[in-house]
Amino acid sequence: MLDVKNVKKRFGGIVAVDDVSIKIEKGEIVGLIGPNGAGKSTLINLVSGFYYPNEGRVVFGGEDITWKKPFYRAKKGIARTFQNPRLVGNMTALMNVLYAIICKNGGENLTLHEASAEAIYYLDLFGLLKRRDVLAKDLPIYEMRLLELSRALALKPKLLLIDEAMAGLNPAEAENVSKLITRIREEFDLTIIWVEHVLRILMRSVERVVAMHYGKIIADGTPQEVSRDQKVIEAYIGEEI
Amino acid sequence: MVRLEPRRGRLIIHAFNRKFEWVIEPRYWRNPIIGVILWLAIPLIIIGISQIFPISVLSLISTLIFANILCMITIPLTVQVIGTGRVNFGPHFFAAIGGYTSALLSKNFGLSPIATLPASFAFGALIALFLSPITIISRGLYFVLITLLLPFILLEIAYWQSEIFGAETGIPGVPILLDTGNVFFDSVAYFYLSFVIVLLFLFFADRVLRSRYGFLMGVINEDEEVAESYGINTAKIKIPTFTLTSGAMAIAGWFIAHYYGSFTGPAWLQPSFLILILLTTTLGGKGAIYGVVLSAYVIASLREITRVTFGELSIVVLFIILLLLLYFLPEGFWGLYRKKRYREYFPSIKIRRG
Ligand SMILES: Nc1ncnc2c1ncn2[C@@H]1O[C@H](COP(=O)(O)OP(=O)(O)O)[C@@H](O)[C@H]1O
Ligand SMILES: [Mg+2]
Repeated sequence: MLDVKNVKKRFGGIVAVDDVSIKIEKGEIVGLIGPNGAGKSTLINLVSGFYYPNEGRVVFGGEDITWKKPFYRAKKGIARTFQNPRLVGNMTALMNVLYAIICKNGGENLTLHEASAEAIYYLDLFGLLKRRDVLAKDLPIYEMRLLELSRALALKPKLLLIDEAMAGLNPAEAENVSKLITRIREEFDLTIIWVEHVLRILMRSVERVVAMHYGKIIADGTPQEVSRDQKVIEAYIGEEI
Repeated sequence: MVRLEPRRGRLIIHAFNRKFEWVIEPRYWRNPIIGVILWLAIPLIIIGISQIFPISVLSLISTLIFANILCMITIPLTVQVIGTGRVNFGPHFFAAIGGYTSALLSKNFGLSPIATLPASFAFGALIALFLSPITIISRGLYFVLITLLLPFILLEIAYWQSEIFGAETGIPGVPILLDTGNVFFDSVAYFYLSFVIVLLFLFFADRVLRSRYGFLMGVINEDEEVAESYGINTAKIKIPTFTLTSGAMAIAGWFIAHYYGSFTGPAWLQPSFLILILLTTTLGGKGAIYGVVLSAYVIASLREITRVTFGELSIVVLFIILLLLLYFLPEGFWGLYRKKRYREYFPSIKIRRG
């Protein structure tokens, strides 16, 4: 489904993503881990179109999308969340999802009632229905993350890119988020790339883990294999994996 | 062809194979009727004010016309800020383009004001189209700097090619729009004419902002990257918005040229005029076209009042007053209205669990 071929992204002197190749099949859920500054977010940005690579190709569903704009990729079915939630702060939770639905439809072929019903469905899925009238900027970080997920899901993606859904959450909240992601993946038949800083949270939710360090892929395998990988342990030196 | 069919509480108009239905609701008529009466009574109000305060009728009317000129620039600017997500610091550049186009075309080719109107719109839009890639490649301070430079460049050109652009003396001999011989009558007519242009601008801006297109513009204004992730082709919205609204600003220049009978670039390309425009936009309220009209009138009146009362200090006093207003009304005049009707802007949905 997604084929990233030898991409390289430089920022001035830094090579944030260095000759990375990953192939992801339809229906897979892949964890992407690495220490801070490993280039995980940059890779997500390269796939979702917010950055363009200096070298290499990105192929999605058989189509070369390396130079396509983000909106095009969104239309083709790539949705994402942002590491720092980017919601429209002055709108309610409901409107944030509603806008996504209406925009995705080009604002046509959909009455406000239908769109609202759909928005409510996606909010309910993440347990945000009671909070629908709260301004997005007044939500706690946990609910912001959930709202970002429900907004991304409302775009009916084929490939969902999650950039650190757990950062800043307490263990109970993190557990809940990981349950929800597992559930939506099954229910919507999604392919997911799930970026996290630490592997422990992903352990039970994903089947495959890719580890990055200094822009390079240093391990690719099952969670158990990766957590025992010598290179990964070295990369996380002094830190919990 | 056209057939009226009155029904109870409704008027159905059959015209050109189409059916228009107009719901007649007298309870909504009060405000428009008051508005129209006030509007028609403006000359009387002005004469009344001039009896009480020592300001001449003509300068009062020209103040109102100046307010309308401000509106002609700030309404498109407001739409542009929403649709591009960027604040243009060179709106007076586009107005000056319109002014120069009208003045040069009528002076050199003898075109009438009717002909220079579309020409200045088209030329303003054309220049904006050439410049429109800046709405894609630059943002933040870079966009501000680029747009801020445009009026200075035009100013330099106006001095450099002063045989063509007339530099400080301007381009005289531009045919004026109205000339009946009666100065009072003329200025009242100019006021109404400029006001009609403002109403048209308001009408179009309102239609655009309420349309599907306006909806997408609003999302771009909030967060361009989020808009892209919703599948909106932001370039396809930003470029036409920038182009057409800049063309609309050029119409302000057209009006200026044919109102004063000349166009003097250096008078309008000044930073002080830019500051007035930006203050009007900000005091109006973020993205509020109606608030902007109110603030244009407030600012033009304050400018006139400070001019007659403070003499040389007037500009300083004016800006101090405006800064104080900005401090006390961070959301502008529209914010006052909006606070009163807070709920309306956050529609909620009642759900019954089945
Ligand atoms: N827009 C940018 N400009 C300059 N450097 C950047 C930019 N984005 C990321 N980087 C650099 O690229 C490297 C990888 O960053 P990032 O992808 O955010 O890491 P991660 O998400 O794995 O923590 C870092 O060294 C960071 O400083
Ligand atoms: Mg990151």
